[in-house]
Parts: sequence; C-alpha cells; structure tokens
Amino acid sequence: MNELINYNHGFTDGIGWHWPIAVYLLLAGISGGALIVSLAIRYYKNQSENTAVYKSAALASCGTILLGMVFLVADLTKPLVFWKILINYNVTSVMSIGVAAISLYIPLTCLIVVYAFENEIKTWFTFLTPLLDLLQKIRTIIEGATFFFAIVICAYTGFLISVLVRFPILNTSILPALFVISGLSAGTASVCIIANKFFKEDRHSSDMQILHKIEWPIMFIEIIFLTMLYVSLVVGSAFAQAGLEGFHEGTWANVFWLGVVCVGFILPLFLNFFLGKKIAHSSSAFYISAMSSIVGVLCLRMFVIYAGQIFSI
Amino acid sequence: MNSENNRRTFLKGIGFGSVLLGTMQYGLNANDESKKAGKAPHFGMIFDQNKCVGCSDCEIACAKVNLVPVGQHRLYVDDQTNPLHVKDRRFVRISCQQCVDSPCTEVCPTNACHKDSVTNIVTMNADDCIGCKYCIVACPYDVRFINDETHAAENCNFCLGTNLADEKEPACVAACKYDALVFGNFNDNNSYMNKLLDVKDSVRMKPGYGTKPSLRYIPAIKTGV
Repeated sequence: MNELINYNHGFTDGIGWHWPIAVYLLLAGISGGALIVSLAIRYYKNQSENTAVYKSAALASCGTILLGMVFLVADLTKPLVFWKILINYNVTSVMSIGVAAISLYIPLTCLIVVYAFENEIKTWFTFLTPLLDLLQKIRTIIEGATFFFAIVICAYTGFLISVLVRFPILNTSILPALFVISGLSAGTASVCIIANKFFKEDRHSSDMQILHKIEWPIMFIEIIFLTMLYVSLVVGSAFAQAGLEGFHEGTWANVFWLGVVCVGFILPLFLNFFLGKKIAHSSSAFYISAMSSIVGVLCLRMFVIYAGQIFSI
Repeated sequence: MNSENNRRTFLKGIGFGSVLLGTMQYGLNANDESKKAGKAPHFGMIFDQNKCVGCSDCEIACAKVNLVPVGQHRLYVDDQTNPLHVKDRRFVRISCQQCVDSPCTEVCPTNACHKDSVTNIVTMNADDCIGCKYCIVACPYDVRFINDETHAAENCNFCLGTNLADEKEPACVAACKYDALVFGNFNDNNSYMNKLLDVKDSVRMKPGYGTKPSLRYIPAIKTGV
C-alpha cells in the first residue's frame, strides 16, 4: 500500500452486508448440499424408487432456497424492484451469474419435489397422472441438471464474496471450496433430521448409514480447508495479517472458536466416538450432532460475513 | 535434391512469414494509435494536500449541487492532523476514486452502476439500482453509500449529471478557494491537470488493489531536514 497518503475509515463504518446475507448463504448451502448428497446416493446405489432420503432432500432443498430468496430480497434497500435483477444481466457480476443459475435451479428443485412425491400426487390428484408420466421420461436429464446446478449454487455463494478485494478473509481462493464442503455438511445433517423425523426412516437403515459415514470425511475436509485459510492468512502479507486478527479478537473470534470449532466439530465427534456406543447410537445424540453441524455452518457463515468485513485494511 | 528443395521452401516460408507477421504487427499497432488519437476522455482529479486547509467548502458545495441528503456525503475531507503536531495540519479528500478497472461496475448485477458511455465516468442509474449493496462491499476504497432518499447506491461522479452537464467544473473544484482541487482530462495533453502532473510528484490512493484509480494526490511532505 501507499504510505504517503492514506485513510482508514470509509463510508460504511465497516459493514455493508449484514446477517440476512449470512443466513442466505447457509440456506443456499443446505439446499445445494442436500441435493448433491441424496442424488449421489441415488446414483451410487442405482435406486429407482423414491427413498425417504430422496424425499427429505427434495423438500429441504426446495424449502431452503425459497426461504433464502426471502432473506435475499428482504435485505435489498429497494425490495419492490428486485425484478430488475431478472431483466438486467451483467456477465462480469458473480451475483448476476448466480441469479441466472438460481432461476434455473428453483424450477429444478420444484421438479425434484414432484418426482419425489409422484405416488402421493397420483393418489390425490388422479388427473395429473398423464403429466407425471410425461415428466418421468426426462427424469434422468432433470436429475443430472439438478446435480450440476446444486454444485453451482454452493460454489457461487463462495465466489460471490471471494471477489470482494477489500476483505482479507473473504478475498481468498479457498472460500468457494469451503462453502461447497460446509454446504454438504449442513445439507447432510438436514436430510438426516428430516428423513428420521418426518419420513420415519430408521436411523440404521442402509441410506442413513451412508449419510452417517460420509459425514466424517466431509467434516475432515472442512477442517483442512479452514486450516488452509488460517495458514494462508498467517503466512500472508500485512493485508492478510489484518484479516488474521479476526480469528483472535472480538465477538466473532468467539463465534468461530465456540460455534464453528466446538459446536460444529468437537461436539459431534465427542458424542459419536468418545462416549461409548450406547450414547452414540441414541436418538438424542443423533439429533444433537445433526443440529450442531447446522449450527456450526451457520456460525461459519456469520463469522465469514462479519469478521471478514470488520477485519480489513 | 529433394532435401535442398525442402530447405529452400523452408527459408522462403520464413521470409514470407516474417514479412507477413511484421505487416500484421504494424497494422495492429496503427490501429492502437488511431484508437489513442480518437481520445475517449479519461477524467481525473488532483487533490493537493499542501493547499487544503480543511474548510469543507467542497463538501457543502457537493451536497448542495448533487442534492445529497443531510448527514450523507459523496466526498468528505478527513482531518489527519497528528495531535502532537497541531501546527502541521493535514487533510485528505475521501471520495470515489473513479477507477479505470472499477470493481463496482463489474459486480453490479443490474448494470445500474456503470461507466457513462460518453465520458467514461463511473456513475449510477438510480432507477435500475435494487440496493443489493454488492458495489459497496466490492469497492476497495469504501466510498459508496446508499442514498437515504433514493435508496440507491451512490458515488462521486464528478457532478456528471449536474455541473458537468452544464459544462461547468465539478462543484467541489469550483468551490475550492485554495486551488487544492484540479479537474481535467488525462487524454487531453493541453489540460492544466496534465501540465501540473508533469511538474508535481503525485501518488494514487491504495494502488495495491490494482483498480487504476483516476484521482491523484499530491502529498504534503516535510521541507528541509
């Protein structure tokens, strides 16, 4: 930076984007993550029936992305003209690319819901049967496209804020990858909860076993990515050092160490591996560890948004 | 025989090839020069820290001309006087740096924040702005804000729609009694701004972000030992 002339306080008093954006980032992550995981299981096991995991992922992804849109629009200063974002496009803007992807992704998640509850719809609304049979013919293509766009949605939320050059924590190349993997983590946890709670899927069924098993590698990769982010700031320039303080000072450092590390990582690990099989297999441990994954990812998004913006040069 | 032929062809090829590439290169360069001669304007401003006394006449004039709501600023003068050296008063103009590679226009999803097609000045179409604040967080200088009345993001646009449209200088420059502000066109070799830059040492604010800002600062430096 130029030492001859400078200034430290601009017009926004530090924070331009507030918590609704962090919540939106979490919801978009859950939406994409849930679909990626459930479609991957479907491909891996060559399933053709609508499993409880598939149904829960369909509901979770459609619900969270729609709720996310509410947060996104509510955060605008002119929410009533939000439609202008749909008719004006700027190819250099990640947000614009994201809007294009979301406007394809939302109809796709709705179609996935229709596929997931095909039999229910057929029994309640018999007259829709021909339409559903017609849709069934393009199911492979729709599911493939949804899988692709689910990854795009998760990744775009990372790119959205990693282009912000002023903030050392945000302006890192690892952020999109971190957001994809933490989205997977929160998505897996949501699917677990919904499948068990609303579709009475047995906690030890084959699908749930898979979800339970992939949870740990996902968490491991998430920890590695966070470590990489941390180390890149430790060894970085003065600019990166300014961001590093965010991990050690202020409220958001507590949110990171207590929320992301203790609740998000240590608590589930503790419940599942250190307290014996009886507790690990109990219903409450199942719910607590799934909820703590989601809370951990929420804390991560809040930390990234707030500490990311506060600790800059 | 055959191999000699091949060599000859090869040499011929090299010869023709270099002539061809040379001509193309020349042609492309000529094209570049003609572009420069076309001279799309590149407006900029100089802030001379040696001359600024911190009277804030520029702030007042700006708010008046551009109808900036009370309590908000498109520009403000920051008092950076060291409390231990109150006789050596220092002020810095903080406002949009009018970057050539402007992140705000790159991230705006609706093209509301754009470069004016005639003057290349970064400005705002308040009607198209939805208030997503992406430009505000993308700006490395943190000099954009949401106007409390229009609810659209806003920045210093050198009075593009107001004074400049009337072929007057920006309000702040016109209001400055001490000539601390100079406005001009970088692509006009005869502009006073360019002549001043030829003889004065000037710097850009936070050039490390690589956005090529168009504001130049002439910093106050200690004279003597």
